[in-house]
Amino acid sequence: MKTLPIILAAAIMLMSLPALAGNSSPDPEGLMKEAHMAMFYAADDGISEVEMKIVNSKGKERVRQFTMIRLDIEEGGKQMYYTYFRKPHDVSRLTFMVHKLPDANDSRWIYVPSVDLIKRISSDDKGSSFVGSDFTYEDVSGRHWTEDTHSFVREDEYNGRAVYVIESKPNEKYKGFTSKITFIDRENHLVLREEYYTKGDTPARIFTAEKVETIDGIATSTFRKMENVKKNQYTTVEFSDIRYGCGVKESVFTERSLKNPPREYIK
Amino acid sequence: MRRFIEEFSINHPWAVIIAVTVITVFFAAQLPGIKIDTDPENMLRADEPARLFDHEVKEEFAISDFIAVGVVVEEGAFNAHLLGNIHAIVEEVSEIEGVVADDILSPSTVDDIRQDSDGVLTVSTLMEYPPENDAEAKFILERIKGNPVLRGKLASDNGKAIALFIPIESKNMSHRIAGEIEEIIARHSSGEEYFIAGLPVAEDSFGAEMFKQMALSAPLAGLIIFLLLLFFFRNARIVIAPMIVAVASVIWTMGLLIMTGNTVHIMSSMIPIFLIPIAVLNSIHIISEFHDEFQKYKHKKTTIRNTILKLFTPMLFTSLTTVVGFASLALTPIPPVRVFGIFVAFGIIVAWLLSITFNPAFAVLLSSNSLRNFGKSDESHRPLTVALHAMRDFNRKHYKAVLVASAVIILIAVVGLKMIVVNDNPVKWFKSNHPLRVADVTLNQHLAGTYMNYLVLDGEKEDAMKDPETLRYIERLQRHLEQSSFVGAATGLPDIVKKVRFELFDSDPAKFAIPDSRREIAEDLFIFEISGGDPGDLFKFVSEDYSKVNLWVQLNEGDNRSVMSVVQSAEDFISENPPPAPLKAEWAGLSYINIVWQEKMVSGLRAALLSSFAVVFLMMVFLFRSPLLGLISMLPLSITIMAIYGAIGYIGKPYDMPIAVLSSLTLGLSIDFAIHFIKRTRNIHKETGDFEKTYNEMFEGLGRAISRNVLVIAIGFIPMFFSILVPYITVGSFFFAIMMVSGAVTMLLLPSIFIVLRKRLFPQADAETEETVIQKAS
Repeated sequence: MKTLPIILAAAIMLMSLPALAGNSSPDPEGLMKEAHMAMFYAADDGISEVEMKIVNSKGKERVRQFTMIRLDIEEGGKQMYYTYFRKPHDVSRLTFMVHKLPDANDSRWIYVPSVDLIKRISSDDKGSSFVGSDFTYEDVSGRHWTEDTHSFVREDEYNGRAVYVIESKPNEKYKGFTSKITFIDRENHLVLREEYYTKGDTPARIFTAEKVETIDGIATSTFRKMENVKKNQYTTVEFSDIRYGCGVKESVFTERSLKNPPREYIK
Repeated sequence: MRRFIEEFSINHPWAVIIAVTVITVFFAAQLPGIKIDTDPENMLRADEPARLFDHEVKEEFAISDFIAVGVVVEEGAFNAHLLGNIHAIVEEVSEIEGVVADDILSPSTVDDIRQDSDGVLTVSTLMEYPPENDAEAKFILERIKGNPVLRGKLASDNGKAIALFIPIESKNMSHRIAGEIEEIIARHSSGEEYFIAGLPVAEDSFGAEMFKQMALSAPLAGLIIFLLLLFFFRNARIVIAPMIVAVASVIWTMGLLIMTGNTVHIMSSMIPIFLIPIAVLNSIHIISEFHDEFQKYKHKKTTIRNTILKLFTPMLFTSLTTVVGFASLALTPIPPVRVFGIFVAFGIIVAWLLSITFNPAFAVLLSSNSLRNFGKSDESHRPLTVALHAMRDFNRKHYKAVLVASAVIILIAVVGLKMIVVNDNPVKWFKSNHPLRVADVTLNQHLAGTYMNYLVLDGEKEDAMKDPETLRYIERLQRHLEQSSFVGAATGLPDIVKKVRFELFDSDPAKFAIPDSRREIAEDLFIFEISGGDPGDLFKFVSEDYSKVNLWVQLNEGDNRSVMSVVQSAEDFISENPPPAPLKAEWAGLSYINIVWQEKMVSGLRAALLSSFAVVFLMMVFLFRSPLLGLISMLPLSITIMAIYGAIGYIGKPYDMPIAVLSSLTLGLSIDFAIHFIKRTRNIHKETGDFEKTYNEMFEGLGRAISRNVLVIAIGFIPMFFSILVPYITVGSFFFAIMMVSGAVTMLLLPSIFIVLRKRLFPQADAETEETVIQKAS
């Protein structure tokens, strides 16, 4: 009789083995890294027109339109972003630049055209709102996978796609979330859904990739939505005119080009 | 009808008692369904424009009502230790259920824009981490002072006081949340004195406190009334009947109120305290009469019949006049006051019905044995009779002086009436030594103010608020408002623009101004939005389409009068200084809502009082079939109202909600003694046919019944003088004053008038002259 529990335990372990090891063994940390690369480091650079809509609880929307240029200096590491605002009209020509450093605070600059002034702006808080939207800076440029501890939850299907579901908990106390659930597309490793929990069982925010397209052979989520459950509002971001591997030069990401936008990319 | 009711009660006492019991049990069964509502906002109809607008503003700008928490340290509050405590307190407070954690205004939660030593523009939490030393703590004070959005609100400029504003999801949570905040503070404070204030707490705590007071004062008043009745009539079995009548009327009324789905509001919670004395009044007349007559007839049923016969009409009319007084409240545009008036009126009808049915039925069932000595004590030597006789003789001698004195009192009262100041402040519903009052005074002395109100300026066009002229105009309006001693701070979009610009240009003081170009304003605002702060913060001051701005006008006083002066001051500014572009100004906020319902209350109750005054007068003319007597009967009531409200004018006590509502009670009750007095004096005169005899009789049974009523009710309300809630003190004082004044006026002025007008009012065969009456007196 004593052997029965042992046999049972062994059987359970055997049955769960495929999940723990073997070919399809999902390594949560590895998956999150893959997802990070797929989302934020596609090709070596990228240029895109972006339309952002911030929709408040009453359905009123604020529209932001900008061109975004990205250059990866190091795969999964240092990156540079250049943003040229077109809308709102009364801030058009305003430019904004970020040098993202994985291990340190980013450097951010803003150029204010009406007074012809370049100002560095602080970046202490990566969890703060990106241009007033429901996305944070971190949502836009990615949170480094080593900042959290990941665990595999299950395999699942999401919107007809096979996904891995990963749970992440920050290593250090973090305002952005206390736990995060990520749905990663098994095939292209894009994040299809992410839930951010801060308190209780309802997520404070939910990210969804509403549309995925293949551009230059790279799977890209071209329409993204961030729902702020707590505030009952959401922001959508639509990417268009996406170009990868344009050979963007590092000189684009200087104070000089903040004042004089690179015409080859920005019409 | 009278005969039927009376005979039925006398002949089928058990039927009456069983019916009363069954109905009472039925209504008592409704009581557990009670729904309590303590929100003074419900003084206004749900669809009242001012209220809707307030909700709209709060939704559009995502503003909640605030609980203000403050700490005052004379030696200076900005040290590492205290700020550490505050940091910990805020952290825990943000976890409380019902607190809108994201919107807490405190050093550790608000964003500050500034540039750091490297010239980097930073929007970051003012005190993200507790400061490590006092120098860092002092720097936080400097930053608060340097930010026009925070200055005066989070700290006093001298650094002695720090304030936290805790937004709450709903006002009716504030009492509970304030309690939880107190507990958290107690765990962290190292002896510093913290204060909790703000209109929502005051209003919600008042509601909580009120029900405690209610549970205490209504039974206490009942008990004292019972003891006084016992003292006067010395028969516990008999005086239990009026108590049952009172309690049953309260149960029927409250039962019906709850059954019909009405909430028990601040006003309706006072129904028992109003009904108990009113319900007892009729019974006292009955028992008093029964008591004085029983020994004459020595027969229960005969005495009862006689008593009811004598009292039926006066009791019907005294009840009806009180019903009219309260029912007139239904004319006010204030829903809780209407509910209150209608149900008190219902309760009075119940009390009247029970008085003339239950009292006799109950008396019939008492064994004759227990009544044997009832009323046997010789009344002629009792202090009450002695006093009444003294009054009788005084009056006869000095009736002219009484008339003159009455006229003088009216004149003095009229002057007092003109001095009445209409004002209210829910915080002042607590006595001045109550912790909420102390907190109110302390915090408002040190800081910009605990009364948040909002002035919304609508440019009615997208981006209207990015116009330099408009922003400058709004800034001038802000500074104009701040000139009022009641406005601690008026904060708005211009302050944010100026601050961003100032920091953008390396803290150049010359740049601390609204820029000239529309585009620069737009950029400054955009920079604020994108440089890392909570974008929601900006939209508490401006609508997302920049068509409206929301000025936060912080008042350090919540008196309606002060709020009105601020509203007026804004109006004056706008009419004297036309805005550069069309601008619609409208107020929101709890203090503003209070002045809106005050205005409705004052005008509504004036209409109610005047109309019920007219109705009561017509009833009196009808009752006495004489315009002259009708007029005379209105005198005690008029003098009582004038004297009480005149006194309020002299004392300087503001005319607030309870005082306004009490005018209907004053009207309804003050007429009662006059009705009894006139009606029964005429009856007596029919029997005696002789004015002298009639005159003497006034001060016997009739006088005793009135005096007993005066004493029982007046003394019964004395305990309410010691309530911690001012409206209860007011109600207690009113009952006391109404009884005393209307009793005195009835017993002094009416006999004096009768002496003067006796030929017209009391004709008799052997015409007596004024002289003979006086001769007899001397």
